[in-house]
Amino acid sequence: MDLSDADILHVARLARLHLTPDELGPVRADLNRVLAYVSQLQKLDLEGVRPTMHVVETHAPLREDRPEPSLGIAEATKNGPVVENGMFLVPRIMEGGASGE
Amino acid sequence: MSELWAMDAYALHEQFASGAISAEAIVKAHLDRIQAWDSTIGAFLFVDAEGALRRAREEDAWTLDERRRRPLSGVPVALKDNIVTRHMPTTAGSKILGAFLSPYDATVVDKLMDAGAILIGKTNLDEFAMGSSTEHSAFHPTRNPWDATRVPGGSSGGSAAAVAARMVPVALGSDTGGSIRQPASYCGVVGMKPTYGRVSRYGLIAFASSLDQIGPMTRSLRDSRLVYGVIHGSDPHDSTSLTNVAEPIPSQEQRWRIGLPREFFGDGMDDGVRRVIDQALESLQGLGHELVEISLPHTDYAIAAYYLIAPAEASSNLSRYDGVRYGMRASGGDLLNMYETTRDEGFGDEVKRRVLLGTHALSAGYYDAYYLTAQKVRTRIREDFDQAFQTVDYIVTPTTPDTAFVLGARSDDPIKMYLGDIFTVTANLAGIPGLSMPAGLAAGLPVGLQWLAPPLFDAALLDAAETLERVLQPMPWPEEVKA
Repeated sequence: MDLSDADILHVARLARLHLTPDELGPVRADLNRVLAYVSQLQKLDLEGVRPTMHVVETHAPLREDRPEPSLGIAEATKNGPVVENGMFLVPRIMEGGASGE
Repeated sequence: MSELWAMDAYALHEQFASGAISAEAIVKAHLDRIQAWDSTIGAFLFVDAEGALRRAREEDAWTLDERRRRPLSGVPVALKDNIVTRHMPTTAGSKILGAFLSPYDATVVDKLMDAGAILIGKTNLDEFAMGSSTEHSAFHPTRNPWDATRVPGGSSGGSAAAVAARMVPVALGSDTGGSIRQPASYCGVVGMKPTYGRVSRYGLIAFASSLDQIGPMTRSLRDSRLVYGVIHGSDPHDSTSLTNVAEPIPSQEQRWRIGLPREFFGDGMDDGVRRVIDQALESLQGLGHELVEISLPHTDYAIAAYYLIAPAEASSNLSRYDGVRYGMRASGGDLLNMYETTRDEGFGDEVKRRVLLGTHALSAGYYDAYYLTAQKVRTRIREDFDQAFQTVDYIVTPTTPDTAFVLGARSDDPIKMYLGDIFTVTANLAGIPGLSMPAGLAAGLPVGLQWLAPPLFDAALLDAAETLERVLQPMPWPEEVKA
């Protein structure tokens, strides 16, 4: 089933991507081509097959709860586009108070 | 003595460790090569001439004993620009990282430095390693040293081209679906993707975390062994790096059973590639090995599974680029608008396409049909290999069905671009080691031969490929052939 413009815009919103009207048509065509291609997987009988999420059996390795050296605040925030007092500033997310920009 | 830039890492290190040549002379020779060639090739995104020369002079002050103790002392190394470095910028081939300067070095960088390597620069790649041609770099395409109208492959195209054009003897790449092996094949160099978990991914900018693996790109098998020896090992900073690995004992037989999967040798392979591969297979037989036809029946489904799993993981990994903690921020309105505008301006078309595809594959109502199904197919692909390796020691295939294509030839058709990965993606899906070695030339362009081995047989794989390297014609370099 092909994705419509509305479907694409929904996915774009989930992905936090803004698509311009110019981009929408080509993106829809490309995605539908790829989805048509991958639909061949539906032909396989996969009843009872366990999915391989990871080739290594992963578990969260534990270590002793002891502080180890880490980056200082200045170092950790040095790449932030807008930083003040060791904090990342973002545009206002709630009404009231000072804006971040 | 031949030109310093024509020597492999092994030879350079030996000369340096014996006191015959200085590290400064080695670095200068390679900087001159970069100066002369990179305006045509475009392999580098950043060259740290000053830093490399400083480090070289430091190493020149080392005693011969100190030089010998460090297996890569005196050796210039380039890094694919998705490996983070404190003293050089890291872009991942994307505009979205802006002027990012990592506050830490990747584990492989620490290991290279400890081993005496001299970091000389960062190489071009498809944005976030998503691509097979290096045309999707946000900065400029890289060109193939064998023919500048052609792509070097990708996504580690800058690393492959830099090594092929003798601008550096060693570069690191990363391989998610073939991104080391395919450009190695197109550029006529050796490229190895280790077993998943062998090399730490700490400091590798994540694309698809369950598939990504860093590996060496070199001009000889002995160099790949040297570099692999330095960079692999468990790392507390990467929970997927393998710990307490019992090294497998390879077969002591002098004659191996080598599997040729019939799904890889069917239609669609370029005639020139077939001829070169057939000759290499004859050489293997000449060495006394037995060639056995095998089947990997789910090969045809690998690309479809890969192009669901990799974008799904990428859509999650790339959610961190939101204009808040690092990289560029586009201005505009409220927080949501800032996120969307930043990502719209910062990401290129291929990255957006994959993020959208991955988001869709993971979204409510589609997860089972797409993502979960693909992960089950992945199990089938693993089982295919498990079964094959019950009867054969190694598997040998062409690395790619064709030789390097002309820039722009596949730009308008994502599926066509994706299908070029058909011979390489299964190793990532199954987590097994694979490498591509140059097997010869077809119409003046390099052809790569791929070796695959069971999980953890990385060292054995390098040894096996080296036995073939010894009997093949030595790979020339582009200028020799054109001259």
